Amino acid sequence: MGFLELLDKCLIKIPLEAHSKQALIEELLDLMDKNKKLLDREMAFHDVLKREALCSTGLERGIAIPHAKTSSVDDIVLAVGISEKGIDYDAMDGLPSSLFFMILAPPDKSGPHVEVLSDIAKMTKSESMCRLLRSSKNADEVIQLFED
Amino acid sequence: MNSPINKILVYIDGSELSLTAAMYAITLAKTLDSELTALYVVNTRALNDLVSARIFLAEEEMDYHKDIEQDAERYLKHVAKLADKKEVRLITKSLSGTVHREIKNEIKENDYDLLVLGGISNIRSRRDELFNETDRAMRSVKCPVLIVKDEESVWDLYDNL
Repeated sequence: MGFLELLDKCLIKIPLEAHSKQALIEELLDLMDKNKKLLDREMAFHDVLKREALCSTGLERGIAIPHAKTSSVDDIVLAVGISEKGIDYDAMDGLPSSLFFMILAPPDKSGPHVEVLSDIAKMTKSESMCRLLRSSKNADEVIQLFED
Repeated sequence: MNSPINKILVYIDGSELSLTAAMYAITLAKTLDSELTALYVVNTRALNDLVSARIFLAEEEMDYHKDIEQDAERYLKHVAKLADKKEVRLITKSLSGTVHREIKNEIKENDYDLLVLGGISNIRSRRDELFNETDRAMRSVKCPVLIVKDEESVWDLYDNL
């Protein structure tokens, strides 16, 4: 299972409304919950925060990949969010984060979980790809970008 | 005439499709009296990439590595049971590295006649970085490749063996 198989129009939010790290996590979890992807929203929130407490998943160049191994899902779930102004996500380079890929995976799906994260790592290496993503106005544009 | 398929390799990644492929490979091996090997590859390349990209912490990498090794053992045991039920001798192998490269090397070093895979991804993107490891294996190995489809009829074939 790769990134494309998980990419779902209903789980893409543009623009994100959150202005803080915690609100961003809540917003993407709400999106998953609204689409009935979570077995236990509170557990998901707790497990994402637990991972963030080890070290922020805010990387460099405005990219953040909040992720958790959690029993709050029964299959891998991916939500994508784009913030217009950026959010302080405790990123490594100290800059605001604007591209968010949240991935939750159950404990028995570590192999596919790693593969999806690896797909995202490869894609986000491309500065032009990140620029195009940031300029996407809606979920359809994001889907089209990957399917081109 | 000798069978052109004496050695079969089936790649297992734990997905339903790969387990169906294993059932089909068992059916083939029994019918053709071929030697069958089931291979799982722990994708350490992806794990290392995630640490390099600082998406994973070192302790996370170790935790996931352990999980995936346990998955490998569990899925290979499951396939061995499926083969045992049909009295097919199965060799199981677990390797580590870049998945498609390990499959390619295994085939090169051991002269398999056929690689059995449990499906390839739908064509949704031409982006090279989004080709999955099964797609890459299919494209890069030197032997013929069989892609297993139609899960229900594979179950019937296996059950009626």
